Amino acid sequence: MEVIKLQNIKKSFNENIVLKDINLTVNKSEVVVIMGPSGSGKSTLLRCVTFLEEPDGGIIKLGEQEVTAGSQMNKQRKNDIRKLRQNTGFVFQQFNLFPHKTALENVMEGPMIIKKIAREKAKQKAITLLKKVGLADRMDHYPAQLSGGQQQRVAIARALSMEPMVMLYDEPTSALDPELVREVLQVMKELAKEGMTMIVVTHEMAFAKDAADRVIFMDDGLIIEEGSSYEIFNNPKEDRTKRFLQDVSEEIVLE
Amino acid sequence: MDFTIIIEALPLLLKATLVTIGLALVSIVIALILGFFTALARISKMKLLKIIGTIYVSMFRGTPLLVQIFVIYFGLPQINISLDPIPSGILALSLNAGAYLSESFRASILAVEKGQMEAAVSMGMTYGEAMRRIILPQSIRIAIPTLSNTYIILIKDTSLVSVITVTELLQMSTLIIAKTFEPLTIYLVAAVLYWIVITFFTVILDRFEKRTSRHLA
Repeated sequence: MEVIKLQNIKKSFNENIVLKDINLTVNKSEVVVIMGPSGSGKSTLLRCVTFLEEPDGGIIKLGEQEVTAGSQMNKQRKNDIRKLRQNTGFVFQQFNLFPHKTALENVMEGPMIIKKIAREKAKQKAITLLKKVGLADRMDHYPAQLSGGQQQRVAIARALSMEPMVMLYDEPTSALDPELVREVLQVMKELAKEGMTMIVVTHEMAFAKDAADRVIFMDDGLIIEEGSSYEIFNNPKEDRTKRFLQDVSEEIVLE
Repeated sequence: MDFTIIIEALPLLLKATLVTIGLALVSIVIALILGFFTALARISKMKLLKIIGTIYVSMFRGTPLLVQIFVIYFGLPQINISLDPIPSGILALSLNAGAYLSESFRASILAVEKGQMEAAVSMGMTYGEAMRRIILPQSIRIAIPTLSNTYIILIKDTSLVSVITVTELLQMSTLIIAKTFEPLTIYLVAAVLYWIVITFFTVILDRFEKRTSRHLA
């Protein structure tokens, strides 16, 4: 069953064409990892899914809902986009937690304000989510009192609090110190195991090998190649994919 | 210096100090509201709002407060808008401070990281919800130091409305001096009273700033 379907997504910034014509379907419980060199358009693609960047054209289908990009903004469309966003959990590279709210309040905010759920109920739900990401003992801490890995786990809990149909991760571990990467990936893997549908933009090959049902390689605003992680990593067909994988593995050796 | 003069003058001066505080408080409240909405107008996408906001700020920052007071109190009656001295004073003071405050508000809203708005709307908040729950609480903390500054200047500027016969602290001092011929004593007492009032508010605003910064470990 397909959860999300992107059709002919196009995006340019001024003269610079970032996404040429992207088609992508993700099924329920599928974990899709998007890789590619920087500037290949993978983050932009993710941001286009929730209209953090409005695509110039194309259709985004989430469940039963369909939103066409690039048309005139009006009240109806604003509501459509908001509904789309409520059903997608977005995790940012820089976490973007609300610094004036505790971990618990960060996770309560969406259900309380957007879904109008009663405070006590939202609190119980938030506690459950924070336990799930292993932060039961940090609930009353402010983001500034948490490590990067802890902050990103709170951000994941915050995204989950809206009970999204799909989770979108935009380089969730790129801003983290190496020793903190694992705890975040661990949480993501557990979610994947539970059947959460996810699209993950990342350079973490180990995560892709362990958790991805499908790996997509992007370059220059196009999907160059896609397949299982085994196919992509062990037997890439396209030259660009081969070169990228070589660059990435050299990097790991150098470290 | 004759201390009996101070003791005799003090009740009147204290009463006038209350007028000064009243002028400052009423004006700052109006200025805060005015400044806040002007700031929103200036960052909005609606051109007309933007233009109105910009013209207002430019006019009131670009002319002396004393001239503004004169225009409102002496000038407006000519087109049949007559205001009493105190309303005239409050109007001039709040329009003036509002222009300055709108600039601090605008800067402090823009100083909140872009990712905050993105995080809020990516969950499905409206622009208004995101502003109210996420952006403004953070920008207020950023705005407090400059807000504090504007308020201190506003308290001092209340002395300017003495020229339109409002009996605030400075005007009262001048009236007392006309009877006692003790300018040094009385003006010094007035200066001390201004200093006490301003220090009092500075301490309160500093505490407020600390309280709103609790979350920054």
